[in-house]
Parts: sequence; structure tokens; C-alpha cells
Amino acid sequence: MSEARFSVQLPGDPDVSDAPRITGRRILELAAKTWPFLRPLKMHLIFYLLLIGLSGLVGTVAYTQGLDLLSNKVLVGEEKLLPVQASMLWLDDSFANADSEAGAPTEEQRKIVLDRLLVWMAILLVVAIGSFIAVWYWGTWIWHSVNQSLRVAMVERSEHLSLRHHSDTRVGDTVFRVYQDSAQIINLIQEGLIGPVGLLFGFGWAMLLLVFLAPSLLLALLVVGVPTLWLTTVFTPRIRRRALANRVANSDLTSRLQETFVAAKIIKANRAEDEVLRRFDRDSHRALDAAFRVRLEMVVLSLLVMMMGGLCVIVTEYVMASWSNEGSSLNVPAVMVFLVPFVAWNLGAFQFGRDQTGGAIGQGYGAVRMWSQLQDLFIALERAFFVLDLEPEVKSPDDPEPFPVAVEQLEWRTVDFAYEPSRPVLESLDLVADVGTITAIVGATGSGKSTLMSMLLRLYDPDQGAVLINGIDLKRLSVEDIRANTAIALQKNVLFTGSIADNIGYAIPNIDRDRIVEAAKIACADEFIEALDGGYDTELGERGVKLSTGQRQRLSIARAVVRDTPILILDEPTASLDAVNEQRVLSNLEQWGRQRVVFLITHRLSTIREADTIAFLEEGRIVELGSHDDLMGREDGRYRRFVQAETTGRAEVIRDD
Amino acid sequence: MTDDADSNTPRRREGLFESIFGKGGRAQYDDQVDIDTELSNKETFFLVGRAVGLLKPVKELFFAKFLLSTGMWVPGLLLPWIGKIIVDHVVGGKALDDVELRYPPFMDPILASLQGLGPMQIMMVLSILYVGLLFFIGTRAGGTGAYLYEGSDAATQAENQISGGGSEAGGLWGLLEYWVNVRLTQRMVNLLRTDLFQGLTRLSLTTVQDQRIGDSMYRVLYDAPMVPEVVYQLTLRPLAILIAALIQIYLIEYTYGDISPELVWVAWSAFPIAIAITFPFSGLIRRTNQTKRAAGSSTTSSMEESLDSITAVQSLGGMDREKERFAERSEESFLRERYAIVVWAIVVALGGIFLSSLLIYWGRGVAHDVIGGLLTPGDFFALIGILVAIFYAAGELGDTWIFVQEPAAALRRVFFFIDQERDEDAHGEEEIGTLSEGVAFENLSYQYPDGSTALKDIDLELPTNSFVAIVGPTGAGKTSLAYMIPALLRPTRGRVLIDGRDITRIDLDSLRRQVTYVFQEHLLLSESIRDNLGMANPDATEQQLTAALSTAGCMDFIASMPQGIDTVLGRSGETLSVGQQQRLSIARGLIRNSQILILDEPTAALDPIAENRLVDALTEVSKDRLVVVIAHRLSTIRRADRIVFMDQGGVLEVGTHEILMADDESQYRQYVMLQGIDSPEER
Repeated sequence: MSEARFSVQLPGDPDVSDAPRITGRRILELAAKTWPFLRPLKMHLIFYLLLIGLSGLVGTVAYTQGLDLLSNKVLVGEEKLLPVQASMLWLDDSFANADSEAGAPTEEQRKIVLDRLLVWMAILLVVAIGSFIAVWYWGTWIWHSVNQSLRVAMVERSEHLSLRHHSDTRVGDTVFRVYQDSAQIINLIQEGLIGPVGLLFGFGWAMLLLVFLAPSLLLALLVVGVPTLWLTTVFTPRIRRRALANRVANSDLTSRLQETFVAAKIIKANRAEDEVLRRFDRDSHRALDAAFRVRLEMVVLSLLVMMMGGLCVIVTEYVMASWSNEGSSLNVPAVMVFLVPFVAWNLGAFQFGRDQTGGAIGQGYGAVRMWSQLQDLFIALERAFFVLDLEPEVKSPDDPEPFPVAVEQLEWRTVDFAYEPSRPVLESLDLVADVGTITAIVGATGSGKSTLMSMLLRLYDPDQGAVLINGIDLKRLSVEDIRANTAIALQKNVLFTGSIADNIGYAIPNIDRDRIVEAAKIACADEFIEALDGGYDTELGERGVKLSTGQRQRLSIARAVVRDTPILILDEPTASLDAVNEQRVLSNLEQWGRQRVVFLITHRLSTIREADTIAFLEEGRIVELGSHDDLMGREDGRYRRFVQAETTGRAEVIRDD
Repeated sequence: MTDDADSNTPRRREGLFESIFGKGGRAQYDDQVDIDTELSNKETFFLVGRAVGLLKPVKELFFAKFLLSTGMWVPGLLLPWIGKIIVDHVVGGKALDDVELRYPPFMDPILASLQGLGPMQIMMVLSILYVGLLFFIGTRAGGTGAYLYEGSDAATQAENQISGGGSEAGGLWGLLEYWVNVRLTQRMVNLLRTDLFQGLTRLSLTTVQDQRIGDSMYRVLYDAPMVPEVVYQLTLRPLAILIAALIQIYLIEYTYGDISPELVWVAWSAFPIAIAITFPFSGLIRRTNQTKRAAGSSTTSSMEESLDSITAVQSLGGMDREKERFAERSEESFLRERYAIVVWAIVVALGGIFLSSLLIYWGRGVAHDVIGGLLTPGDFFALIGILVAIFYAAGELGDTWIFVQEPAAALRRVFFFIDQERDEDAHGEEEIGTLSEGVAFENLSYQYPDGSTALKDIDLELPTNSFVAIVGPTGAGKTSLAYMIPALLRPTRGRVLIDGRDITRIDLDSLRRQVTYVFQEHLLLSESIRDNLGMANPDATEQQLTAALSTAGCMDFIASMPQGIDTVLGRSGETLSVGQQQRLSIARGLIRNSQILILDEPTAALDPIAENRLVDALTEVSKDRLVVVIAHRLSTIRRADRIVFMDQGGVLEVGTHEILMADDESQYRQYVMLQGIDSPEER
């Protein structure tokens, strides 16, 4: 309600109407979610924080002792050392006031004390600087480790999320979440936990002292505190919304870049450089504006709060100045005199009171500023954990059955599937393939051939019906087992950064070079690989663009073959191969595929004819099934018509001959 | 012998020391483009100078920022004295002219206005002054800051580098300075990153192919934001330090001028000392920072690559491998961040130790003077305080060079791609109109950057108003040859002529407007179908859109989509089948309506019916333009007016299908016969 009242949608703002409402409970939940990433380091964290506290203590002791020694014992030089100081400085009793002969030290003694003190300072300095470097490194290591484990968990989850999720998610967005949003986890402890404790402590301390100095000053703090709280609650949702807008806009910019660079070639060929630059510039400005606006909210809030705080400081100072000017009396309880050592308003009390009100109000600013920065932190963690909270659609059962030792038969049983409910892709489709056979899946573009095959890998699950191996539903097997036993050569020949050997042996750790070469030979890739300067160790560029499409296609086939799985799927394996290579690859595969179930998705007749069974797919169903000769024999058969379209041209060629 | 010699050379494997402190200048991680990363001090000097030059387009904002930040020194001078008036004359109740220490002359107007007032009246006047100052500059409240929490690596700190900013002042002044400051840094970064973006999109194709996407993203998003840092380190910060130092010198002259005139000179010795200590580390800081950024960009690349190819990763079962790879890169990148921190900390520590030693030595002398009764204890602290302030300023000034090393490492990575040769650099300004003759290749050869030959000695003419098919086995150089026409590749020898004019004389915009290239990879953007086509021809009418789509055989599947032509495609069009993506790519080529249309394997993923329809359409459009098709399928090839048969980088035969088939010796004929072997009609 109040949120809507203050919500302002500026032009160019990303749509963030679903800005998460962050309640106290939600913050606790977020904190609980970070615990698994902090837990492995809890001992480090505890000792690190203890060490920080300890070094603060050592620093304070060193400072107060050093100051006492330097100013009182050396510079003023009217007292001797305390016994403990003397022994710390390795000096004999004549320097100390142990015998209560409170004589002043001699000039010589003062110079010796000074030198000893300076030696101590030098030692402490070296130790402090050395440990400062070590602690800095250690602390950074701890935060890096926490961030690293969150990053890796997010990437792992993303890798396992379904393709349906990925087709709706921009790459840049995931990159942004993993990189930018996750990084805020390191601030949760420092800023979300230790910071507020420190602030509360500082605030409480100042309040305590003020109570004894002049309780009426508390009233002034209260007068400022209430509107400050109100302002903060008003601004909080605005800041949160702007923080989300900032992250969304920057994530969009990241995506824009990624998508532009992926499409670099198309942009070049279409001379669209100016157009993409315009779009980039627009997205860039959006991101900058969003960054400006979230900070503007924070700045305005803190300025308003500071204005009130500043007024409070000025007014209380005026009041205290008048008390001091008049020398009004003070009633500090006896027990508190060691903390508030004043009996009447004088210069000391004035400065003390001014410091305490200023301190309390300063803690207040700090708290408001921290709170507004924390809003961005919550939003970031919210976005990071969003990825972790996504459940992969395709999951292994809790208690998977073992994968069959020998694959005998694959079956699609009345399978329905649609990417979007309104556009069915497969409709009660049935298909059976036995071991030792090659099945060609044939059909028009977009008829669902690749979708059919991706179900075998459980990249998608059927909406209705089931895919079975030896009569076992794939959903009862573990996804890892299924993918380990199924190799696929994709239509898009994706290559990864790395050497040719790495690409062929992808997903098989520590594979023998012999197996890679053997697979390359089956895919007829061996020849061109050997002809490259680096042979199998040739590095491929981004997405393997240095090879021709035909060469990349053969690497994809080799990558599928090398896995030596009982099931092999080749999606348009020969589309970019010339006739000679196509024939060689196919006859090699025929040999190799004797004891396996092989699927071919293809348009090329020469490839189709290598299959034992041809499944002709139309409108989401298998409309014809049989051998080439079988199907060609059907008058007016769909497949026959398809073949005729392909060969009309060729028939003429042969006639011309 | 050679084996022995090899085994005697030092191993390339690097130890820890080498890996942290070693020389750069070699390929890091998977970088293949920007591999010579070493900067000399001289180069760094010019580089940071160039960065400061970026102030020119934002000089108004910069000037405003300068005025606003230096303006705050004035109240900084006044306030301590106002505090003193309150302490001495209000609380202490002393008369205004009863002072041991003279007020500085700039206090005169204020003192004059207080003359004759009682203590509480003075307090009232000063309180009103305070309220005014609070409103305008935030006195008695604090400065303005707008930083978000950040991570502990360069990438996550970039956002604050761009948009974090603030002011020493609060109040209206603080708001204004925040505004100016943030807009200043944002504009600088935006200018630089759009320039970089432009450079990256205009790289030559061979460079683009070797450049990793994640690395480009890293440079635009996380390296470019370091520019305000350089500028700040070299302009505002030294100025601020100098002003602070001058104020301290003024104070010391004012109070202790006759006691220790040499004090100022002692203090300024920190300046050369800081330079002498830190300067030798500048190369090291640059290198560790360069490496940390290279490691960060390799992390980005590995993440980007695996997400972009997620279908392949999942279907090959590579999820864990990809996760491991990312984890490794990310770990390495964090480690490099820490190395950079360690080096930085060591330099800071060394400087600190040297300056502290000087301070201890000098402090000892002053303390002896106090012991000897020449100075009071109060003088000791005042002198030390002033000395530390000047020391600090001089030391900071001496460290300026060190502070620009990290941003310099980042900016080198930015300027590298801004300076890369762009496609248009090799082109003239002539326009091409309607094609009258066609395209000719004259004694053309092409070698890849790695030295392997792709094309050799090609002489070929492709007349306009014809349908040309380029045919040959995989790896024959067909695509490389076709790339020469829109100047996606540039010949290493020989020329490409369009209507008899060398294409290097033709304006690249004009050339690419007249040449359409439909690639083998069907890249679509995750936008609507309309926008995907609009990229090729923003002015296309609805009719043209529909015509192109139906010629490419897209209308049947578009019709079944809920939003039709406005359907937004998923990432890289992956919600479509590969065949559908291919058809859309072809439609995108057709809609440009250019004089030369090149299609690379347009029919590979098409079913025969769609293929026939497309070839019909191509034959039709070739009546008034040049259509070049690279194809394997005979059904496409045989309908060409002219067939160019290639093998191993050379053009072997040119002619029509009939002529080439009539020659018994023809290699094309052999090739065709091989394709025909399996023809069902032969059985």
C-alpha cells in the first residue's frame, strides 16, 4: 500500500514490479541459506574474527601505554615508570617508582626510556605490518573461498537445469548472477552481522553516558530518531526496487554484450554494427541511470537524516553551551563518576557531551547508510539464491534402477510432447528400435525429429507416455547413467575451447590417445587432423571456428563414437559432408554399429538408405515405418513422395547423361 | 643431439615465484588474440596520458567537480576557528579580543559581526551560521557517499568504479557534487566502453574468430570502468594532496616558522623516498593486475561458453566437466586477485616502514629537544602532527605512479582492442550502385594467420544476373572464397574486383549493403522474428517481410506460432528446429534485396520439398542480381548457370552442369558420379 504510493516508474527502468518483499523473516531465511557456504570455513571465520578483535586490543594497549610513556614519562618527565613498564622496557629498578620514592627521572634516564620505547615501536611496527599483510591475505582467502563455493554451486545448478529453462534464460543473466550477485555473500557477515553489532554497541554506549550527563539530551535524540525511522521505512522499498532495477539493467547489459559477440559474424555481414552499437549504448545508459537512481535514493535518504541529525547536534550544542556558560551543576551518580567525571558544566563536560551526542547521531547515520546498502545486498543474494532454488525439471529418481547391462530394445510408448501447450510437437508417438539396427528418422523440417531423440537423453521428458529401455521407463534410471550410455552427434557442431583431442575426448576424463585416434578414423577425421600443424593437439579457437563445417561435423561424430556407448544418435551427421566423405563415414559407422542401437536423423537419401528401418515422421506421429524398399513400394506413400521430390532433379541429370 | 639440447633448456613450467612475479609477455590462459601483455614504464606513461585525454569530452563536468571538491577547503579552514570561538568565548566566557593566538585574517568578517555580543548571543549567531552551513554543505553532519557493497575481485568492484561517488560535503552541496561526480565517471566509462564495443564489433573476421566472447565481455564490463580511477589519480588527487600540504605548510609557518624552518624540507623528503621505494615495483604491480584480469576473463569465458552450448554439454554428459572447469578458472582468478593484493600490500608496507623509520628518527631528535627544555610537550605533538600530515601528503604524491598501475593494466586491455585494425580501415569511400558486370577474382591467394594456405592463384569471373554454384569436397576453400566478396576475409595476394573496381576502394558500408551473406551457422538473436529480419533491413515493408519469409519456406511454421511473426525466439532461436532456424536465416538474407546474394550450404538442413522451392526462388531472383550458392546437393547444383568446382584451395573447373558432365576427364563429373552412386534410380 505505502509501497505503491511511493513507487515511481521512470522511463527506461526495467520492469521490476516483482521486486521481492524483504521481511525480517526473509532476511533470516537468506542468512540460513548462506550457512552451508560459510560452514566449511567456520573455524577460519571464528579465528579470523578473534584475531581481528585481539589485534584491536593489542593496538589499544600499545597505544595507551605508548602515549603514557612518551608524554608523561619522557616528554613531561616528572614521574618514574611503573614497575611493569620498567620490566617491559628491560630497565632496572632505578627507573621505576617501586620504592615509592617519587623522584623525577634524570634527563639521561628519560633519553634511555625514549630509546627503549622507540625500539619497541619499531618492533611493533614491523610485526604489525607483517601480520597485517598475512591477515589481509587470510581474510581475503576466506571471503574468496566462500564466494567460490557459492559460484560453483550456482554454475553446477545451472548446468543441470533443463533446456526448457535455458531457452528462456539469457546467458548474460546467469553470468551476472554467478559473478556479481553471488559476490555479496562476503559482505553478509562483515556488514550484515558485525557492522550492526558494532553500531549498536557504539550507540548504546553513547546513550548510556548521556543518560548520566543530562537525560534531557536523550529526548532530543528521540525527537530525531522517530522521523528517521519513518523516513527509512518509506525509503526502504524504493531503494530495494531501484537496487533490483540496477541489477536487472546491468544483467541485461551483460546479456546484450554476450548476444552481440555471439552474433559477430551476422552483424558484420549485415553491416549492422551501427545498429548494435545503438542498442548497446541504450542498454548501457539504462544501466548507468539505474545505478545512478539507486544511489540517488540512498543519498537523498542519508541527506535528509543527516539534516535532522545535524540540527539535533547544533541545538544540543547550543543548550550545552548555555549550561556551561552558566556553569550549571551536574548530578552524576557516584558509581558513574569514573565514566562521567564532571561535577558541573564546564569546558570538559561541554566537549564530552558534544562528543557523545555527535557520536550517537553518527552511529545513527551509519545505521541508516548501512541499512540502505544492505537492501542491495539482500536483493543480490535473493537473485543468487534464485538460481540455487530452481529445481531441475529432469531429475534422477531417489533410488534409481541399475542401467541394463545389455541394451536390447528402445521404445517410445504413446509419447506426447509440446514446448508450449498450444503447439504440440509429438502426439501419441510410438516407435521401437532393436539392438543391431539402424533407424533413420525422416520427416519435414520442424516435424519433431530432434525432439524425439532428445527424449532418449532425458533432455526433455514426455508430457504423456514414456520412453523405455528394455521395457524400463527412463524415469526410473539415473540421468547420469542414461547420458553415459547414449552418445549423440548434434546437428549444431559445437566445439569447446581446447585441443582437438580434448574435444573428441570431451566428457571422458583421462582418455587414451589411441581411442581418440580410432574414433577419429571412424569419423574420417584422422586425415585432416594429421594434416594440421599441431595434429591432435591443435588448439581450437572460440567455438572451433577455424575448421570448416564439414570438418567440425566429423569431429562431432568422432566425439560421439569415442564414447563407445550402446546407443548412438546422429543428428544430420552428413549434411555438410561431400559425397565421398559421407559414404566413407557411413560405411565405417555401419561396421561399428553392429552391436548397438543407432539412430540417424537426416534428409539425405544416400544416408537414409543405409538404415534398416525408416521412420517417417509427420505432424508429431510416425506415419510410415519400414525399410526403404518397403516404403518405396507403397503407392502414394508419404515417404515415396518425399524421395521423389529429392530425386526429380537427379532423374533429369541421369537422363541428360 | 637436438634432443639433448632441448632437454638442457630450462623447463617452461613455472614455479610459484615465477608465477607471481614472473615476466608477462606470453599467452595467458586461453587468450589467442591479446597475447603480448607486457607494458614498459614508458608505454604506461603514454597510456595513462591517453586516459587523461578522455577528459576532453567531459571537461565541463570535470571542471564542475574540480570546483565543488576544492571549494570545500574553504569551510574546512573556517570551521576549526569557529569551534575555537565557542570553546573560548562562549563556554569559557572570555572576551573576543582576549586571545593569546591571533585569529587568521580570513576570520575577520566573522569576528567583526560578533563584536559586542554576549556569550549566548555569539552562540546564537554561530548556531544560525551552523544551520545555514548544515543546509548548504552539511556541516556538523558529514559527507555524501554512494557506494554499494562490492565483492573482493576486480569484476565486482567495477560497478562502484563506474557509479560510486560522493562528496566531502553534505547538504545541497553534497547532493550536487554526488550528481556531478557520478555522471562524470559514468560518462567517461560509457564513452570508453562504447568505443571499445565498437572496436570489438569491427574487428576483422579472423580476429573475431580467435577472440573469446567472455574475454570481450570482461573488457567492456570490468576493464573499461577503471578509466575514472586513472584520471582521478592523476588530476584531482594530486591537486587535493597539494592543497592539503600547502595548508599544513601555511599552518607551520604561521605557528612554528621561526622554531624549525627545516621541518618542511624534512617532511618533503618523503616525496622522493616514496618514489624511490615504490617505483621499482610498478612493473610487478602491472603484471599481477594484468594476470588477475586475464584470469577473471578466462573465468567469464568458461562460464559463457558452457552456458551458451548448454544443449551440447547436457547431451554429451559434460555438466560436471564444465563445472570443474569453471571451478578451476574461478579458483585461479581468486588466487590471482590475492597475489595482486600481496604485491600491493608489500609495496605499501615497505613505504610505510621507510617513512615510519624516518619519523622515528626525527621524532627522537624533537623529543631530545623537549627533554632538553627547548620545546614543550605540546609542541612535540603539534610538530609531529604537522609533520605526519606533510609526510603523508608527500608520500601519497610519490605513490601516484604506483596507484595508476592497476588501472593501467586494465586500460591496456581496453585500448588494445580499440587500436586493433578495423574492417573499414582497409577500405576506400567509393559507392557501388547497380551491379553491371559482376565479381572477379584476380590471381587471388589466401593464407590463414597460422600460415596454412586456404586459396591459391584464383582467377575467376562471376557475372551478374546469374546463379553460380561453388562445388567441391569439404575443406576445398569454398567458404573462404565466398568470404572474399563481402570482404569478410582479405586476400593475402591478388585482388577482388566488383564491376572492375578493386573492393578496397569501395566503402565498406556500401559493399556490405550490396552483398548479403547467409552463413552456414544459422545464428538468430533472441528477439522476435520481425526484429531478426529487421536487423538485415530495417526499412522492409510488411509485404517484403512476408514475401521473404514465404520464399524461404517459413510461413507454414510461423503460422502455427501464437504471435506469428512477432513471436520472440528463445535464446539464439533454440526453440526452433535447426531446419526452421536455417529457413529464417535465408529469409533474413532475402529481405536485404542486395545486388549480390551468397548462400553457404542453404539447403543442408532442408527437406527436399523445401529445397526445391528455395532453388526455384533463387533462380528467379538471379535474373537481376548475382546469386552464389555453396552446395553439396546435386539437386541444387545442377540448376546453376555456372558451376565453379574447387578442390584444395584452387578452382579446377568452371562451366555449366551439361558442359562439365560432357567431359569424360572432368573432375566435377567424377564428383557427381560419386554422389550419384547411391541414387535410388540406379538400382
